[in-house]
Amino acid sequence: MAETRADNVHPPYLYPDYKSTRLRAPAQPLVRVPPSPLEATVPAFPKAFVKESEADLTTWGRSAPLGEKMVLVGRVLDGDGRPVRRSLVEVWQANASGKYPHPVDDHDAPLDPNFLGKGQVLTDDEGRYRIVTIKPGAYPWQNHAFGWRPAHIHFSLFGNAYAQRLITQMFFPGDPLLAIDPIFQSVPEAGRNLLIADLDLEHGIEGVALGYRWDMVLSGRHATPMGV
Amino acid sequence: MPKPTPSQTVGPFFARDLLWKDGGAVLFPGRWDRITLTGCVFDGTGAPIVDALFETWQADPTGKFPSGDDGARPYGYGRVSTDTDGRYAIETVMPGSYKGPGGETYAPQISVSIFARGLLKALQTRVFLAPLEAVKDDPLARAIGDPERLRTLIATRDEKDPKLYRWDVRLRGAGEAVFIEY
Repeated sequence: MAETRADNVHPPYLYPDYKSTRLRAPAQPLVRVPPSPLEATVPAFPKAFVKESEADLTTWGRSAPLGEKMVLVGRVLDGDGRPVRRSLVEVWQANASGKYPHPVDDHDAPLDPNFLGKGQVLTDDEGRYRIVTIKPGAYPWQNHAFGWRPAHIHFSLFGNAYAQRLITQMFFPGDPLLAIDPIFQSVPEAGRNLLIADLDLEHGIEGVALGYRWDMVLSGRHATPMGV
Repeated sequence: MPKPTPSQTVGPFFARDLLWKDGGAVLFPGRWDRITLTGCVFDGTGAPIVDALFETWQADPTGKFPSGDDGARPYGYGRVSTDTDGRYAIETVMPGSYKGPGGETYAPQISVSIFARGLLKALQTRVFLAPLEAVKDDPLARAIGDPERLRTLIATRDEKDPKLYRWDVRLRGAGEAVFIEY
């Protein structure tokens, strides 16, 4: 089903407050076509591609990483409400002090030898996933004066069709930095809450880890071409 | 209908997380001649984009879609980042043409997604591995119409090396590639 403008929850390509969009956003209108029959199919990941241990980002080192331990659960659905089954979910994030183990991250904050900030999991037959991690820290960036990115976890998803491929970010409830983050604010108001996890204490681990829930829906915009 | 989850940028810090060893060598069951698709990704000033994630999804040389999950990685799917010159390279097989649901013919093509810092949504398009004259009946070519715009999606076969296809991608401004939405 075509998505009407009023329902649009995706950010525009050009959002001048996020400066690097100015040179990278296409200036020409996009050409609207139905997904090709190929794009209605999706890459199949071999079972051995994902190890169960990769869903827990806190057991990678010799001891526990610094930070507030958390469990994140949720479901992945397609635009028709169908679960996205046995599908790869990739996550990556900063450590508790807001630092990525990446050569271009010049934030003057410590790396955590016990935290790599990288994980992956396959959804189950109901589209559910569960990861264990620590809450990432906020960090400064040079987009604008006194700019800080709110704490976030990056997600990469495939869906039930290549046309549904999505990379996005999950944020935390009640974070005051959301109001000054142009990347989050680029999302039309109707969509912003969809990027914020809910506290879900019962999915945490008593006395050990806070629980959060975040469900994802992969856009149904023309995702199933007629007749396929 | 549930609302879709909004897209956000991949950001600059994905290399250790999303890139795979040999992710640019696309796997297919069976033995086929190999080709390479390579080029650079440029921004609106013509500067190379050195931190783009470049992904490909394609049919095999007979036009059959990848299936099966007994390889080391998914079949038919390539994933690399651009390098310090903005260059990507995908080593793969020649995609065959295939038919759409209405009997229309899709010319030999590779579906491409580009993610980067400064891209709040993926840029999606299709690169044709056939000359302009040979793709004019393709559904996307018809939707584009203008041959000058269509030309931005045509990979050029190297004169000396027939297994090498070159395709540069300009995200914005002069020579801007055509991008698609569904």
